Amino acid sequence: MSSTRRPTSRSVRRTAVAATSAALAGVLLAACGSGGGSGSGTTGSGPVHIKVWAWYPQFKQVVAEFNRTHKDVQVDWVQAGVGQDEYTKLKTALKAGQGAPDVVMLEFQELPTIQLTKGLLDMGKYGANADKGNYVSWAWSQASDGDHVYAIPVDGGPMAMMYRADLFKKYNLKVPTTWAEYKEEAAKLHKADPSAYMTDFGSDETAAGWRQGLAWQAGSRPYTYSASKLPDIGVKLNDDNAKKVYEYWGDLVKNKLVDTASYATTDFYNGLSTGKYATYIAAGWGPGYLSSVAAKTSGKWRVAPLPQWTAGAGAQGDWGGSSFSVTSQTKHPKEATEVARELFGTSQAAWKIGIDQAYLFPLSNPILNGAYFKSKKYDFFGGQQINSVFVPAANGISTFDWSPFQDYAYNTDTSEVGKALQGQNAWSSVNDNVQQQVTSYASKQGFKVSK
Amino acid sequence: MSLLRQQGSTATAPPSAVPARGLRTPVTGRRPGGLSARTRHKGMGLLLVSPFLLLFLAFLVAPLCYAFWLSLRTSTLVGGDHFSWFANYQQTFTDPQFLSGVRRVVVFGVVQIPLMLGLALLGALIIDEVTSRLAKVFRMTLFMPYAVPAVIGALMWGFLYSPTFGPVNSISHSLGLGKVDLLSHALMLTSLGNIVTWQWTGYNMIVLYAALQGLPREVYEAAKLDGAGQLQTALRIKIPMISSAMVLALMFTIIGTLQFFTEPRVLEHSASSVITPDYTPNLYAYNLAFQYSEFNYSAAISFSLGAVVFIGSYFFLFATRKRSGLK
Repeated sequence: MSSTRRPTSRSVRRTAVAATSAALAGVLLAACGSGGGSGSGTTGSGPVHIKVWAWYPQFKQVVAEFNRTHKDVQVDWVQAGVGQDEYTKLKTALKAGQGAPDVVMLEFQELPTIQLTKGLLDMGKYGANADKGNYVSWAWSQASDGDHVYAIPVDGGPMAMMYRADLFKKYNLKVPTTWAEYKEEAAKLHKADPSAYMTDFGSDETAAGWRQGLAWQAGSRPYTYSASKLPDIGVKLNDDNAKKVYEYWGDLVKNKLVDTASYATTDFYNGLSTGKYATYIAAGWGPGYLSSVAAKTSGKWRVAPLPQWTAGAGAQGDWGGSSFSVTSQTKHPKEATEVARELFGTSQAAWKIGIDQAYLFPLSNPILNGAYFKSKKYDFFGGQQINSVFVPAANGISTFDWSPFQDYAYNTDTSEVGKALQGQNAWSSVNDNVQQQVTSYASKQGFKVSK
Repeated sequence: MSLLRQQGSTATAPPSAVPARGLRTPVTGRRPGGLSARTRHKGMGLLLVSPFLLLFLAFLVAPLCYAFWLSLRTSTLVGGDHFSWFANYQQTFTDPQFLSGVRRVVVFGVVQIPLMLGLALLGALIIDEVTSRLAKVFRMTLFMPYAVPAVIGALMWGFLYSPTFGPVNSISHSLGLGKVDLLSHALMLTSLGNIVTWQWTGYNMIVLYAALQGLPREVYEAAKLDGAGQLQTALRIKIPMISSAMVLALMFTIIGTLQFFTEPRVLEHSASSVITPDYTPNLYAYNLAFQYSEFNYSAAISFSLGAVVFIGSYFFLFATRKRSGLK
């Protein structure tokens, strides 16, 4: 066949290829040239520009507020992806040695991981310790290690139960205060309407923090970790408290009293907005989330405290929440620290945007316990002052350490939950399997693991 | 600089000057510091390939070398980084997560590849035989999924598979067959196979169809005279004669299957308890690097996967060398 091909057409094509690749090379070189700098820095005597990565859209107004009130420091905001997508970019930039922003939004569980790769600046050296009293203590302890401050807390996710008041009334359900009651009501609901579920069990990776938060409430403290005591780490993912939580939910799943759709999928949103799910166990940021994904159910939801293992115990857990860290690649540590501390800090104006528009749950004491936040009424919840539930929940959370390999732990947990869900493994074996895999991983990574 | 000037003169020389230049060769050849015609040609060639070569070195060879260098080092979260020769590779081939991923894509390929190529072959034979306008429409329709970017295709299928919104589920429900969870552990490989088949059958069909179109028509006439029917012509003449194109299509498909990534990565969002981070070797390498920061081990996994692909392709080509004409 090749003999029929005319040589001229071949050489023409080659020339075209060469020309195209030359043009492409030019474009790429030009791209490299313009993208070489990290983007932050001063030119002449103007203000210092600090590049910030954060993901919620309302952050735009917060930045505008900061830039309006600051002269020498200006914030350049970049949306570099939500959660894991942003972390992937950050880790790659840290590994590459360039390209990281000055200030980055990080969830609490991610802090030890990034800190361990020496990716975070110790803001304690730039006066951040002065803020200690401004934040709820469990959040400050997750963001710091003694006098080393690796993050400034912003928002939290104290857990509570949101429920459909109309459905509860329709099926004559009682608002549960203990997990035992929750199960009874779940059975009652499913019997009355087989297509309805008490809630959706978060079985996927985005719900790993949800499962951890529930175990947190039950008293499980899987990690004992401090960056200053490396290489020591305590790992105990299979204590009785954690097992109790997983077996409880496994039982609900087996009896088909809860659904098992992945969180953050259209099926899940659909369940929230059609009445398929009667409750949504969520966190302080949940009201904002719920009112955007299930807008048409406005007015039908109410908030109640998280059901308890022991009646009246008032045990709480947290799911999510974020902070601002300064990366080790910054050329302006002083100004970047200022940005991390003052983007929200105790600024009433910034927090008004955060509370009203971004539905952030403040961890800043004066805001959290201030009258505005506590007494705010939410139309989506039928005018309920929902923070009278969330604020005590936030204040009742006890300290909790994260591991510096939280992604691995979450992924392993998700895989094992998946196996239990598919009936390959017993629910009672999930925690033991996770413990075994995580400890062996930690040992391989050079940690001295105590179980 | 002299090289450039030299080229300038070559480029301006009209093609008709070739014999004249040939005559002058002894003179120019003796000129001190001058380049012979051969060297000049070489220089010209080098310049012409240099854009490609530069990109090739910068974006393929250099990253490969860097990744290989990474793969020979071990870096742990605590304790830093040291040179460890082939320890990562040793770990790779005893790593149950990597091996289960390889096993999964092999099982996937054994079922999906023959099915897809069989369909592609059937389609190619049909459109080769039927020359009506309908055949053109058929060809376009089958080829169209290939024009859809893989990510978009996977997202779309993920939606179709959805237990709440997916039509598959509502059809089976209305037929009284109950709920079918296409994103469950048991059906995931089938669901993925369906996406891949949908996307690539048309492409392979076109490859095979092009080969069929290149066959000399006289052979068919001879077959007809010998009393062969259409089926016999297809089985005994067409298929053997396009076997080299089939080997090529099969080869590309095998390589693609071993590097399976996009579709599971997209469906991971709707079924992350089924599609684990180590679902396919490529997905595992990606997650190791960008979620667990294990760049070194990830590099070793990538190279090991590359080795599996290379050795696999080599043996495949060796085994089929008679058919493919690559003796």
